[in-house]
Amino acid sequence: MIAADQSFCKRCLYSTQHALGLVIDAEGICSGCRVHEEKDRLDFEDRFAMLERLVEPYRSKSGRNYDCIVPVTGAQDSHFIVHVVKERLGLNPLLVTYNKYFNTPLGIRNLANLRIKFDCDIVIQNVNPVSVKAITRTTLRMLGSIYWPCLAGQTVFPVQTAVRYQVPLIIWGAHQGLEQVGMFSHEHEVEMSRRYRRDHDLMGHEADDLLSIFDTLREEDVWQYRYPDDADLNAVGVRGIYLGNYVRWDPKAQHEQMVSSHGYEGAAFPRTFDTYDYVDCYNYMDLHDHLKMVKHGYSKVTDHACREIRHGRLTREAALALVRHHESAPLRFSRLFEEWLGVESGGLEFIINQHRNPAVWEEVMPNRFMRRTRPMDASGDVATFENDLGFEAHSELGRSRDDGYITIGKGYPL
Amino acid sequence: MIKKRLIGVVTVRNGWAVQSFGYGRYLPLGRPEVLVQNLDRWGADEILLQCIDRSISDAGPDFALLDRIARLGIATPLVYGGGIASAEQARAAVNIGADRVALDALLHDDPDEVAKVGYQLGAQAVIAAIPMAVTEDGPRWFDYRTRKYTALSDAVRNLLENGSVSEALIVDHRHEGMAGGFEAALLDCGISDHVPLIAFGGISDPDLMTDLLKRPRVAAVAVGNFLTYREHAVQAYKEALFSVAVRPAYYNRTVYP
Repeated sequence: MIAADQSFCKRCLYSTQHALGLVIDAEGICSGCRVHEEKDRLDFEDRFAMLERLVEPYRSKSGRNYDCIVPVTGAQDSHFIVHVVKERLGLNPLLVTYNKYFNTPLGIRNLANLRIKFDCDIVIQNVNPVSVKAITRTTLRMLGSIYWPCLAGQTVFPVQTAVRYQVPLIIWGAHQGLEQVGMFSHEHEVEMSRRYRRDHDLMGHEADDLLSIFDTLREEDVWQYRYPDDADLNAVGVRGIYLGNYVRWDPKAQHEQMVSSHGYEGAAFPRTFDTYDYVDCYNYMDLHDHLKMVKHGYSKVTDHACREIRHGRLTREAALALVRHHESAPLRFSRLFEEWLGVESGGLEFIINQHRNPAVWEEVMPNRFMRRTRPMDASGDVATFENDLGFEAHSELGRSRDDGYITIGKGYPL
Repeated sequence: MIKKRLIGVVTVRNGWAVQSFGYGRYLPLGRPEVLVQNLDRWGADEILLQCIDRSISDAGPDFALLDRIARLGIATPLVYGGGIASAEQARAAVNIGADRVALDALLHDDPDEVAKVGYQLGAQAVIAAIPMAVTEDGPRWFDYRTRKYTALSDAVRNLLENGSVSEALIVDHRHEGMAGGFEAALLDCGISDHVPLIAFGGISDPDLMTDLLKRPRVAAVAVGNFLTYREHAVQAYKEALFSVAVRPAYYNRTVYP
């Protein structure tokens, strides 16, 4: 059975077991749904004007430095963020991206499209693969995460760049904690913090927390992921703001706009109906998604379904049917990860099973797990629901190549 | 001269740090230990860790959480509140890692036991947490379990008067977590002038903070939600409090071996 103290939101599909924490109020509605209501209450024209006033002091007076830093990837809102920063706010951004090594050809194509269509400079961080693999082995074993280095790199490299280039303003897209579980109101205008990064992005463990006398991971492997010191951040005046506090954030609508106006491309995934998120990575919607299911009892399709319920494009029943249809789809690319890291399939499965959440999974035979009783059943015509939603795939992740990581992708014919 | 203090508050509900609004609405934040460690690095003068569901559920103090926090080796004085129903539990909290304890429900339930806590730990280690609201009848004491208002009892006044506890944490419970909300009238709630007060609840504005800290009897202000919205929030407040004798803002620099 599911943990006794787990309760579910009456409106979306999240429960109090959400990895970011969730509060359900006296009416049975979760904090994420309550904060989402602000999207229809707040005047986002006013809020965008607030954003314009906020960024104005950061424009480079001499024109010889960048106005801001924008972290980007070959997927997930990056086109829209750069569109807002460059084409609506009129800022000159320096784009920064962290090479996570699990890149798809489609992600490399989208990133090339992004920097060419928006005509921006970009800095790419490549941490040496020996260290990245060493960290991945440790975090897989310790935290059940293959994605810690990706998350750590994506969240620290922009901050390091801000200090190094003395460009104090970093502009992020949406705040994940606000969007999913209502960690903050839009009106709190929450900003980037080291605390949030450690707490949620890094599962409570900063780089130096991974070092142990019982492991072979060394300081030489992790120093690239260290957050800049408070003194350095203060000297430059670094602050990171979230566009989602000032723009009515709707990833589906934003992606559709970017497909139409700037040539962004999406692809279909077996484990979700959303074709726009995470098309830059072979693992996020595959092995990483499976690990999320193993540890937390839900996967990314639940996040997508809750988002669509809140935006009024799915009923709760249809969302549940989509989740049940997608969440356990077989993995397609775990072999690529095994080859990259140098692990056997059985060894990887053994490590994954060490992180099975006992509140979700029951070991019925040695190394054989069954999901405990689900609290909610679903039915309905999944194909109709997906057709009505209208997410479009424009390409394959591999773009007609054999599947394989693009470890260094400098560009792509558009 | 004894400096005034800026206290960082971490509110815990169901084991998870939360933003709390008016003692009735909550938003999730994260792991309490990560928030505590962050306030320590930022140079808060004191940290109040309050587990708000422990007394109401008779769960007792959250010693496991306190133990995890004690293992972090933080340098900032730590106040623990939540679920303490006896002097024995208060002693245990201090033995595990708290420097002081904050008592609220026990003030209602057993003031004599509060005196015992003060006797055993020393008054300096005991804070009386007193949620208040300005009502038609003036400032009234709020019992968060029954959600009823009463006059502050003579027993509690005596505890403060006779030095069994060292400070009174005056909480504007209605405005807790709401920007610019603290009602300064609550400081005139009939507690003797010689009892140092800590003001908490809706204190977000540096000007209000300055005004409160300039009052002779206010020893500290406590801030919760508003420390979670910005990087270096503690330092920013301290820099804005330039006209008050507080420890200066501190920006950490890590020295790696």
